Amino acid sequence: MTATWLRWTPAVAVPAVIAAGVLAGSLPASARDPLPEKTPAQVLAMIGHHQTKSFSGTLEQSSELGLPDVPQVGPTSGAGTGSLAELLTGPHSARVYVDGPTKARMQVMDRMAERDAVRQGNELWLYNSKDNTATHVTLPAAASKEARSHDMPAGVATPEELAAKMLGKLDNSTEVAVAEDTEVAGRAAYSLVLTPRSDVTLVGSVAVAVDGENGMPLSVEVRARGQQEPAFRTAFSSLTLGAPDPALFNFSPPPGASVKELAVPAKPNGTNGQADKNRAHKDLADKNLAGRSTDNKDRRGHAPTVTGSGWERIVGIPAPSASAPSESRESGKQSVDRLLNDPLLRQATVTVQGGRAISTSLVNVLLTDDGRTFVGSVPLERLQAAAAAR
Amino acid sequence: MPEPEAAEPAAQEPAPQEPAVQQPDGHGPAALEPAVQRLTVRDGPAPGTRRRPSSGSLLASELKQLFRRRRTQAMLLALAAIPVVIAVVVRVSSAVPAGRGPAFLDRISQNGLFVAVTAMLVSVPLFLPLTIGVVAGDTIAGEAGLGTLRYLLVAPAGRVRLLLVKYAGAAVFCISAPLAVALAGAGIGWVLFPVGPVALLSGDLVEPDEALVRMLLIAAYQAVSLLGLSAIGLFLSTLTDVPVGAMAATIVLSVVSQVLDQLPQLEWLHPWLFTHHWFGFADLLRQPIGWDSFGDNALLQAGYIAAFGALAYGRFVSKDVLS
Repeated sequence: MTATWLRWTPAVAVPAVIAAGVLAGSLPASARDPLPEKTPAQVLAMIGHHQTKSFSGTLEQSSELGLPDVPQVGPTSGAGTGSLAELLTGPHSARVYVDGPTKARMQVMDRMAERDAVRQGNELWLYNSKDNTATHVTLPAAASKEARSHDMPAGVATPEELAAKMLGKLDNSTEVAVAEDTEVAGRAAYSLVLTPRSDVTLVGSVAVAVDGENGMPLSVEVRARGQQEPAFRTAFSSLTLGAPDPALFNFSPPPGASVKELAVPAKPNGTNGQADKNRAHKDLADKNLAGRSTDNKDRRGHAPTVTGSGWERIVGIPAPSASAPSESRESGKQSVDRLLNDPLLRQATVTVQGGRAISTSLVNVLLTDDGRTFVGSVPLERLQAAAAAR
Repeated sequence: MPEPEAAEPAAQEPAPQEPAVQQPDGHGPAALEPAVQRLTVRDGPAPGTRRRPSSGSLLASELKQLFRRRRTQAMLLALAAIPVVIAVVVRVSSAVPAGRGPAFLDRISQNGLFVAVTAMLVSVPLFLPLTIGVVAGDTIAGEAGLGTLRYLLVAPAGRVRLLLVKYAGAAVFCISAPLAVALAGAGIGWVLFPVGPVALLSGDLVEPDEALVRMLLIAAYQAVSLLGLSAIGLFLSTLTDVPVGAMAATIVLSVVSQVLDQLPQLEWLHPWLFTHHWFGFADLLRQPIGWDSFGDNALLQAGYIAAFGALAYGRFVSKDVLS
């Protein structure tokens, strides 16, 4: 009898060993020396001063925005691949290679497919392996500094970009604190936590992990009120400092790919494109940028309006009218159309009083029956009130 | 799954193995032959110097038995037929629009090597687990069902060693099954379509010889993927004397695991499912190659091999072998 039990010992021991190994692996390595104490201002300055220009790493992004999931079944590339909203559902990972300000490559790793953005000097290539299409953009020399961040493929923004946007917008509306040290991609990091002082906004808190050594932002996590998991999180899962293989930045479309040349106007209207992207992205930092783009457009009249301040800000885009072919409104209209043509978002749209709404845990969008659009990180009732006010 | 040879009259069985001759209908001497061979290996040395047969010769006879079976050969041929069918269909039909059907299907007409990639992709969810289920489910239960198991154990091979040899045989089949798809795919693609530099998922081009290396890597990835399923099949095979039951249970488990992997409500479970990384070999088609998924997959499969290997050991060593 004992012999029989002895023989079953491995069957019990092996799962136990595996479980122990998994538990040990998931525990944070607490043996590490704690980072020197820093104030929020010092951590902010670290970000401002960081000089990391060359690195390669893997970014993991996950979203729990309450949008419908795209089921990925079988040996296909997945139905939603390529749609903007698809990037906001479920997990995504991307590899990033950066060497100086003018050489960058980002690979969004989809199931059985990949979206690439390769920049070398003023040449920018966008490639999607799913439909084998490539887009070539020659960037104007003046845009070179900013273009790196703006022309990354939509969806997975680097923590660096997001942190810079958010931290630039700090004011009285936000409480900034340094929380306990964290570890991202195996590196000790400061955790900078921004908590809105407003009770109205949907955003619970924003946490940015800042590398304890070189000040590079390693992860951004946005939490929504009343939701357990982070609503949006992007973080490096691995990071190697130093110049990546230069051959990675040489790109030419494979034979058989359909190549599209995209002309960039001499003075690129970056803000509009940015605003479109933002609305599709619906993350918190972008709302601020949308607000900034408003300032530019005000000069042309018929511009989007902004009500409220700080975290309670609501952006209203007026209804398009045929009489005034203003560029800004057309782009606004286009972006709304594009949003609604996206099958995923159309699925997420619900009819509410006064129009239709797309509700996520971080951002609400109200499309009124008369064609106006209201966007804000506030409850839907606030958007409806803003719509009724005019 | 009775074999063609099973129809032969049982009377042709050599004399010394009387109990084996009295097998139930449907199991013929051909299937018994290897077991008999292994017995004679045991009988070789004089009784005084009773020597355990070397593991190598045990494995060799196991592999011989496995790959000489018509069933195994038929399964490998069926797997090799997948790329042939795909290639012929693409050849005789009009161009496939990009983004429809399995990934890479639209690339085949431009580059024949994509036949192999497409076929390997298509065979992952069902065809490969099907054949592995048959082989792994048959390991112990097949011998038990034929009544040869106790003869194998009479030889001083030891139950543990028999289990290991049986698993090694299944593992060799795990390697040969994806290889059959890959080689047949590359061959038929070479014949029917132009072959040139291959565009990877990242858009970069690699020469055909490097593309072949990557295809072999994919085959290796799939072989590793199937090892966990083989371990499960081995365990299930020790539970029963009816090989078909173990085969069916193994195949069903692989399907169930894939279905569970699609349910977002069970997200916490997904990293633990043995099918979770089955499609991860796309990372081998990127530039540079992403090895993370290969490592994750290998670790996961190693866990399954350890867990179900231990279960199979516990069951098989304490089992009363009556047939």
